[in-house]
Amino acid sequence: MYSRLLARLLGWTLRLDVAINRVYPEDFNPLYYTGGLANLFLTVLVLSGIFLFLYYVPSFNDAYTSVQFITATVPYGVIIRGIHRYAADGFMIAILLHFFRNWFTDRFRFSRDEPWISGMMLLLFSGFLGVSGYVLVWDTRSQLLVSMTAHTLGAMPVIGGYLESMFIGSAGVSNLLLPRLLYLHAGLATFLYIMLWWHYVRIRHPKVWPPAVWTLFSLGLILLLTGLLPAVSQPTARPESTPGTLAVDWLFLLPYVGLKVLSPLVLAALAVVIVVYGLYIPYQLPETPAAMGIRDSGVAQVIDANCTGCELCYYDCPYNAIVMTPSPHPGVTKAAQARKLFAIVLESRCVECGICVGACPFEALELPRLLESDIQQKVVQACRS
Amino acid sequence: MPELTAPRIVGFLCDFAVDASALTAPDGTMREAPNVTLIKVPCSGFVRPTWLEFALRNGAAGAFVCGCPLGDCFNRLGNNLIGDRVTQLRRRFERQKIHPDRIAAIYFGLHDQAGFVASVKAFSEHVAGLPGPVVPAPRTAGGASVARAAGTAGAGGPAGRPAAGQQEITAPEGARPASAGARPAADAAPSQATDGTAGAPGA
Repeated sequence: MYSRLLARLLGWTLRLDVAINRVYPEDFNPLYYTGGLANLFLTVLVLSGIFLFLYYVPSFNDAYTSVQFITATVPYGVIIRGIHRYAADGFMIAILLHFFRNWFTDRFRFSRDEPWISGMMLLLFSGFLGVSGYVLVWDTRSQLLVSMTAHTLGAMPVIGGYLESMFIGSAGVSNLLLPRLLYLHAGLATFLYIMLWWHYVRIRHPKVWPPAVWTLFSLGLILLLTGLLPAVSQPTARPESTPGTLAVDWLFLLPYVGLKVLSPLVLAALAVVIVVYGLYIPYQLPETPAAMGIRDSGVAQVIDANCTGCELCYYDCPYNAIVMTPSPHPGVTKAAQARKLFAIVLESRCVECGICVGACPFEALELPRLLESDIQQKVVQACRS
Repeated sequence: MPELTAPRIVGFLCDFAVDASALTAPDGTMREAPNVTLIKVPCSGFVRPTWLEFALRNGAAGAFVCGCPLGDCFNRLGNNLIGDRVTQLRRRFERQKIHPDRIAAIYFGLHDQAGFVASVKAFSEHVAGLPGPVVPAPRTAGGASVARAAGTAGAGGPAGRPAAGQQEITAPEGARPASAGARPAADAAPSQATDGTAGAPGA
C-alpha cells in the first residue's frame, strides 16, 4: 500500500513539474533546485547572522535592548534582521520541499541513503536552530518557549529532571541560558556545514546553487518581505510574569502548538517516532531491482584490457562509485598500454545506471547483462525490420 | 508489411523517462509512428554517442535519445551528460559531412506521453526533410575529399578541378622519395647519439 501511495505521489510530483515546465524553461524549474535554494538561504543566514552576532549581547538585561538597538539605530540593522528572519523561513521551506520531493521521487534508493540520513540530520538541526533563534530575541515569545521546552523536557520519565537542568544550565532560569543558546545557535549553524559535507560526499557534481535567476529572485523576495513586514519583537520578557499566548511561527514552532492538545510525553514520543521513521524511509522498501520491478543489468564491470585510466567515468559517475587506482599492469589495447591509472567500480555504490558506459570512449566499461553488442544487435534489428 | 515512406528512426529511451509501454508494439516500434523503434536503456546517460552513429551507419535516417526533463534525472546527471555528448557528436558530424540534425536528445518525464509523441513525430518529419544521403560515401584515395588548402577547390572552375586534384596528389608522391630518403638518416642520427651517450659511461 505504501509503495502504491508513493507511486501516486510520484505521479503528482511529476505532473506538477510538467505544469511548471510549461511556465519556465525546464532548467529553471525551481523544484529541481530545492537543495540549491536551501544552500543559498543558508549562506544568506550565515552572512546576516555574523552581522547580528557583532551587536547581540547575550544577557537577560541587554538581549532585548541590543536587538532593539540593531533594529532602530544600527545602519541597515533592520534590513539585516529582516533578511535573517525571512531567509530562515525560506531555508525551512526549501529543505521541506527538498525532503518531500526526494521522498516522492524515490531519490533515497540504492546507495543514496547517506544523503538521506544526513538530510534528516540537517532538517532536525535546522528546526532547532530556528527555535533557538526565536529564544535569543528574549521577548515574551522567547520566555514562553523556554518555559514550554523546560516543562516538556522535565515531563520525561526518569531523566526528565536532568534534561531540564541540562537545557537551562542551572537549577532555575539564570543568566547562563542566553550565552548557552547563542553558542548552540551559532555552533550548530557551523555544524550544519559538517552535515552538508556528509550530504555531498557521495555525490558527484552536487547542484549547490540555484540558477542565477532564482538566486536573484530569492534575494529580492527576502528584501521585499523585509521592507513590507519588518521583523519585530514581541514585548520584552518579564521574569516575574508568564505570558499567556504564544505568537506562532508555523514553520518553526509547530511542535509548541502541539503542546496545546498533546501531553508533553505524547509529543516527545511522536517526535521520536517521526524522526526514527524519517531515518527508516530509505530502508523500508525492497532494494533489489527484481523486487522493484526494474531492469537488472548488473554492476558495471571494467574491462581491464581496454581501460586507459582517462578518468572520464570517474568524473561522470553521479554517485562516486568509481575510483581510480594506480594501474597494476598495462592494458592490452594500444591506448591502454601507457596507462598510469585504472578504474575500479565500488559495487556497494553502483546503482547500475550505466552512465559510466556512456562516458567511456574506449569500450572499457560494460553492464554485464546489457552489453554494447546487445544494444548494437537491437539497433541493427530496428534498422532492418 | 506496408511500404515505409517515413525515414527509419532509432530512439533510445530511458527506463525512468516517459512511460512508453502503451505507445509501443512488442517489437519496440511506436504505434503512432511505425517508422520509429524505441530501445529501452537503464538511463539516458548509458547511451554511448557512437551508438547513435552506429544506427545512422546501419540504415537509420535519424537517431535520438530520450531522457527525463533536465534537472530531474533519477540518476542525477544522466540527461545532462547525454545532452552534452549529443552536442559534441553533432559537432563531430558536421566535420564528417553528416547532417547534425539527424540526432537529437529530447527530455520527457514519466507521464508526458503526449509531448513525447509530438516531439518524436516532429523529429521524424524534420529528418524526412533533410537533404542527401544519411552518411556520405566513404573516402577513396585520390577522391574529392582529400585535404587541400581552403579556397583552392573552386579556383580553376569545374574543368580545372581534376587537374588540380591530380597535381595535388602527385606532388606529395613526388616528394615522398625525398622524405623517405631523409627519414632513415634523421632516425639514424639520434640513435647513434644515444648509442654514443649509452656507451660513454661504459667506456
